[in-house]
Amino acid sequence: MASVDVTTQENSTAPAANGPVESEPNDAMKLAVRRFLGRVFAVATTLLGLLFLTFSMGRLLPADPVLAITGAEVSKEVYDRVFKELGLDQPIYIQFLNYVKKVLTGDLGVSAITGQPIVTDLMTIFPATVELAIVAMIVGALLGVPLGITAAVHRGKPIDHVARVIGLAGHSIPTFWMGLMALFIFYAKLQWVGASGRVDVFYEGLVTPVTGFLLLDSAIDGNWEVFRSALGHIILPGSILGYYSVAYISRMSRSFMLEQLSQEYIITARAKGLASRQVIWRHAFRNIRVQLLTVMALTFGGLLDGAVLIETVFAWPGLGQYLTRGLQMNDMNVVMGAVLTIGIVFLIINITSDVLYRILDPRTR
Amino acid sequence: MMKHLLAAFLVAAATAVPQHQALAASPPNMLVIGTNLTGIRTLDPADNNARTVSELISNLYDNLVQLAPDDLQKLQPMLATKWTVSPDGKLITMTLRSDAVFQSGNPVTAEDAAWSIQRVIKRGQVGSTDIALWGFTPENVETLVRAKDAHTLEIELPIPVNSDLVLYSLAGSSIGIIDKKTALSHEANGDLGSAWLAANSAGSGPFALSQWRPNDIAVFDAQKKYWGGAPAMARVVARHIPESGNLRLQLQAGDVDVGQYVASGDLDALSKDGKMVIDSVPGLGFYYIALNQKDPDLQKPLVREAFQHAFDWKAIAGNIMRYTGFPWQSVVPRGMIGAPSDSTGRYDYDPAKAKALLAQAGYPNGLSKTLNPSGAATLPFTEALQASARAAGFNLNLVPGEYTPAFRERKYEVLLGNSGARLPDPFAVATQYAYNPDNRDEARLGSYYLWRTAMQVPELNTLVDQSMKERDAGKRTEIFKKIDVTYKSMNPPLIVFFQRTDPYVMRANVKGYHGHTTWSTRWHHVTKE
Repeated sequence: MASVDVTTQENSTAPAANGPVESEPNDAMKLAVRRFLGRVFAVATTLLGLLFLTFSMGRLLPADPVLAITGAEVSKEVYDRVFKELGLDQPIYIQFLNYVKKVLTGDLGVSAITGQPIVTDLMTIFPATVELAIVAMIVGALLGVPLGITAAVHRGKPIDHVARVIGLAGHSIPTFWMGLMALFIFYAKLQWVGASGRVDVFYEGLVTPVTGFLLLDSAIDGNWEVFRSALGHIILPGSILGYYSVAYISRMSRSFMLEQLSQEYIITARAKGLASRQVIWRHAFRNIRVQLLTVMALTFGGLLDGAVLIETVFAWPGLGQYLTRGLQMNDMNVVMGAVLTIGIVFLIINITSDVLYRILDPRTR
Repeated sequence: MMKHLLAAFLVAAATAVPQHQALAASPPNMLVIGTNLTGIRTLDPADNNARTVSELISNLYDNLVQLAPDDLQKLQPMLATKWTVSPDGKLITMTLRSDAVFQSGNPVTAEDAAWSIQRVIKRGQVGSTDIALWGFTPENVETLVRAKDAHTLEIELPIPVNSDLVLYSLAGSSIGIIDKKTALSHEANGDLGSAWLAANSAGSGPFALSQWRPNDIAVFDAQKKYWGGAPAMARVVARHIPESGNLRLQLQAGDVDVGQYVASGDLDALSKDGKMVIDSVPGLGFYYIALNQKDPDLQKPLVREAFQHAFDWKAIAGNIMRYTGFPWQSVVPRGMIGAPSDSTGRYDYDPAKAKALLAQAGYPNGLSKTLNPSGAATLPFTEALQASARAAGFNLNLVPGEYTPAFRERKYEVLLGNSGARLPDPFAVATQYAYNPDNRDEARLGSYYLWRTAMQVPELNTLVDQSMKERDAGKRTEIFKKIDVTYKSMNPPLIVFFQRTDPYVMRANVKGYHGHTTWSTRWHHVTKE
């Protein structure tokens, strides 16, 4: 309704040359920009609050970033020197303000545990995580959506129960254990995949990073051996991570589908004599795409920071491990940098799914 | 273009899995070490002395002298071919070899050596703790450590100190000799090249750094022109593999040649594998129980004595401690001068005796205290203590977490931890366990464990001071014996149960890899059969 009001208002003040037909997309554009800015503002405020909370909580942790650097046997003199170098001698609110000031200029500080600027760390870590999350997402969607839809179509029948068990197993078996078992089978016994890191040690440094996504970089470089090795390393953690999200995706697909299948238009379609496959995929599925998109977007966000255990088992140099290590050693620059990155990713996911909604759902146009 | 790329992508993806099989096992001229690279923020020698990073640095930089892994108290030449100590013990003169070059091609000179030592003191980072003890300060170091000519280095000692201690410290990884010209050409804001050296190497060692990604991987390439001969391994890779189960599988598959920080369960399994060798390298440190003397209950000598009998250490000696320590109850490490031949008969698990001691101290109904591990690594050990102490009248409330910071600030009641030192002399351990020159809170002498327990024993302070200055080996032996006896008889607040060992797992075809007690493990002579 709001959009109609705005359109009429602006139409009344518009010069005669601009007919209502031409001004409509213009107004819609303005509205979209306004909405977008509003959202960015809301998220920015949220991010600031999130940073403040993270920062304050970090200061309550018993871990000592100085000792993480110097070791526990360090003398008083060296301790004090490093303490000061890290800026820990300032009051907490000053530390926080200094931090925010720097963030606004694009400087996320230096990590106490890697000695590198956070931005440099994130340049290698973030693509590694996103690459893993994308593979996981593909596995999760390819398994989860058909599983959920099949379950809905065969509601209450054995196939529905089997689908439920398959989904829940992925969610309830500890990923840590599943990772080790999978390594035992696919790495140690079958020797199909690599065990740790992003690529075999022999291929380290052979491909110059362009995008940071090793699969893409090696393909661009035409180095197919590295590509194969990289694929062999990502496929197992990616699949396990993807399988973990199957439960959520398939349960959601199932309930969305059930809702659609009880609608009148489905009964009509069936009455018209359409084949069951057509009814499900052409009619019902089209209508759950938007809802599924929300589920996917949320799952993807969760995969970015929720992969700590898998990253540890597979020594995957990703964001989850980075953040956890930062927390353990109270390296606040790392923690805040990672939190900020995740926050921004959620912002982007939100905006992207907004745009996709508009494309997929004619009612929102 | 995109279509082609996509097609190529898919073809490669389809063929990837079966072809990977051929790639397993590291090549014969490459050594892969599976380790934990957490917390290494720089590869600058002056900023480091922890275990893993010491090994990495020791292969990039040569020292003036080195210690053989099998005879720690015997100094061997490295960049210095010979050295003399003046009769008054105040001047060490070292002659440097003339055939050593840095990876840049610059020759190694006494000027580089002097500058490297001065730099450690001036930087004042962790590495400086290794030599600052001998009286060097940023103000005096330039005059005291100097190049007499291109191949003669003079080290003048500002305070009386046993010259062997000084020479041992020169073998430590933080005193690696750096290429002055190269380092200074990358200097920024007067950092003496530190920012650049964090991720680059400028040494004369058998390897040069070719890749470094913190928390992920370090790749080292052999220096073919190394003065000691080209290493057999053309490349060494240290890879971060934090999960012990994964590391074990990679060792067994042959993708990893040497494994460090393997958990005890996996060590048990690997010990049964004929293709693996486990080398438990003795370390200069102990597993101990610390009792905070600011706590009025724990101050009582009878309570401290009761603690000696509250821990069933024999029960864990065969399992969780099998590879990480051996029973030891003296503060002088086994095999060192002044060490007892056997120290394991000093206190045994005796719940009845502990209870009686507690009753005598005024706690007939037992005593409740909070127990913390120093960190995750000592948690299993802490759980064992909690269980056995219950029968001995102690109700210990175990709170897990990272408690080293609290220990350093004396904010704990009972803590269980482990220590490490690198100087191969009992003096290093005695300083930690028996020395506390200022017991006030504001002194913040967190590097001394005895300060952390808030106890001060003037007699021990004097003995430790003497052990640093004394030049006569026989007299030093007597001093350490005396420290041991004094310590034992005072019911110390640091109760030692095990001496630490560090297990290294190697594939049986790896030869010449010897984990070093002082952590300066070198790869120069490593071969693979």
